[in-house]
Amino acid sequence: MDRDQLCMLQELMAVEFTALEFHLYLDTHPTDQKALMEYNSVVQKLKVLKQQYQERYGPITYEQPSSYPWQWINEPWPWEICYE
Amino acid sequence: MFIPNDQMRLARAYVPFQVYSEHFNPMEGLLKGTIFPELYFPYRKYHR
Amino acid sequence: MWSYEKKLQYPAKVGKANVKMAKYLITQYGGPDGELAASLRYLNQRYTMPTPQAKGILTDIGTEEMAHLEIIATLVYKLMDRASVEELKQVDLGGHYADHGKALFYVNGNGVPWTATYIQAKGDPVADLHEDMAAEEKARATYEWLINLSDDPDLNDTLRFLREREVVHFQRFGETLQIVQEYLDSKKCY
Repeated sequence: MDRDQLCMLQELMAVEFTALEFHLYLDTHPTDQKALMEYNSVVQKLKVLKQQYQERYGPITYEQPSSYPWQWINEPWPWEICYE
Repeated sequence: MFIPNDQMRLARAYVPFQVYSEHFNPMEGLLKGTIFPELYFPYRKYHR
Repeated sequence: MWSYEKKLQYPAKVGKANVKMAKYLITQYGGPDGELAASLRYLNQRYTMPTPQAKGILTDIGTEEMAHLEIIATLVYKLMDRASVEELKQVDLGGHYADHGKALFYVNGNGVPWTATYIQAKGDPVADLHEDMAAEEKARATYEWLINLSDDPDLNDTLRFLREREVVHFQRFGETLQIVQEYLDSKKCY
């Protein structure tokens, strides 16, 4: 995996993690408007980033169309990536 | 000593609610394992 | 239902292969306080929770634990990379090799297979949430012992991430417990 892809993947991990943290927080604080607004804006950012990543490097979700041949099975799988 | 307030009763566990104010930027949050400064309690390795 | 994302939650690195450490770390895969036990415990307890917050948090943390299971698997896979049979024998993984080759399996650090007796569902939301809070503390302690056992800074970086998640989950279960207790109190008033 080249530098650029790894860099984008890690940015994606970071933004998705921020969304998850707000998600858990909101489960027990459903009326926190500030957190809710920030969650919505992070999720929007995440959606764009994930779309860009998949257009460039192939599908990582089930909601992404594939070019020919079927791209989902392309290596590396997550446990095979060297995250250096 | 922790003094319970009058809303509390004995024989019950209480965890204070987090009050959110600000968060680490996404990469810093990922590397720390939480985006919330008030919940960040890193482990200091015990040497012996 | 669930949907797989072809990525890890955290960029799991190891400095160099280390079969001994793999043997210790596997307990967070299939041990008593490991990620499999955590995930299955929470996802199974959802059905008898009385409040929407409790159903939500058990669903979401149970799902996150699956991502942690995948991180542990990745770490063990990398620590076992290119291990020879001789190396496996040296750290007493000959028995594992005979049964599983170099495959991962749901066992603790001594090779004892995972069992449903590690987890419980009492059907009493207060009792179940206490179990969940205890489970987070036990998993946090396990990560601390594993960090003590390891001198690999890359591995410890990921273990520290996973340890911090246990702290956050404890907080969420604690908040859920308050919500559930208040809900049960409000029902008793009538």
